[in-house]
Amino acid sequence: MTNEGIAVIKVRDVLMVVIPPEPDDETVSNLQNQILRAIEKNEASGLVLDISTVEVLDSYFARMVSETTKMVALMGARTVIAGMRPSVAIATIELGLTLGNTLTALSVDRAFDILHNASNGMKPR
Amino acid sequence: MIEKQDHEIPIRLESDIITVRKQVRTVATDLGFGLTDVTRIVTSASELARNIMSYAGAGVMRWFAIESEHRTGIELTFADNGPGIIDIEAASEPGYSSNGGLGMGLPGTKRLMDEMEIQSEVGEGTTVIIKKWLKK
Ligand SMILES: Nc1ncnc2c1ncn2[C@@H]1O[C@H](COP(=O)(O)OP(=O)(O)OP(=O)(O)O)[C@@H](O)[C@H]1O
Ligand SMILES: [Mg+2]
Repeated sequence: MTNEGIAVIKVRDVLMVVIPPEPDDETVSNLQNQILRAIEKNEASGLVLDISTVEVLDSYFARMVSETTKMVALMGARTVIAGMRPSVAIATIELGLTLGNTLTALSVDRAFDILHNASNGMKPR
Repeated sequence: MIEKQDHEIPIRLESDIITVRKQVRTVATDLGFGLTDVTRIVTSASELARNIMSYAGAGVMRWFAIESEHRTGIELTFADNGPGIIDIEAASEPGYSSNGGLGMGLPGTKRLMDEMEIQSEVGEGTTVIIKKWLKK
């Protein structure tokens, strides 16, 4: 099984993770650990999950994303999911999945805006 | 209905789910489905392959290019010799799960596809057949 080695990039106090197009289950479950440890180590206040290259979001992956978001929230940081493709959004909703109350953004840029505004005490737009 | 071709992929390991997805994406794209339908079909395949892994341990996926008088489509069969489903109707309802899942796999797949048929015998196994037709 290949672990596609997901990079966790730190930008100021925000961590950014680019999810590969076809992550296998092992990659997905490693990712959760990797993210939580990186948040602790870097005392990050926010996490951006860039899913712009992801072509399929099945229930396993969706569950991982919403669980990770909740764990990150418990640790005191915010998650924004960025860049979901239109076709993926359609299939995800028709399948009946929700990502809970997860914040979402059209792009990574917008995701950083949301986190920045939130940390300045402004309402996310 | 004329079946033009059929092929089979084993589902034994979690990594086979990725193989299934890639294969289904290629076949559906080659048949002429657009990106949104391809994503619907691949998402459905991923759910059914995962059910085989979770509940039966192993099985196969078969794919067919199907044709009726006026239209072309794709048919995918997911078959296993696992424990079977006791109450197919209940299992097809959103929220029903025997392992603490969301219970969205079967009802969601039904929404994403044009047709879905479940054949299951307790102690014998389960076969789920899904179809999507190309909109002309
Ligand atoms: N191939 C199978 N063999 C035996 N039982 C199955 C099979 N596929 C589905 N089932 C039964 O049907 C139920 C509903 O399946 P469905 O995919 O809708 O939900 P789930 O797998 O429990 O949760 P989710 O897919 O949302 O993670 C399962 O919990 C299981 O009891
Ligand atoms: Mg399922």
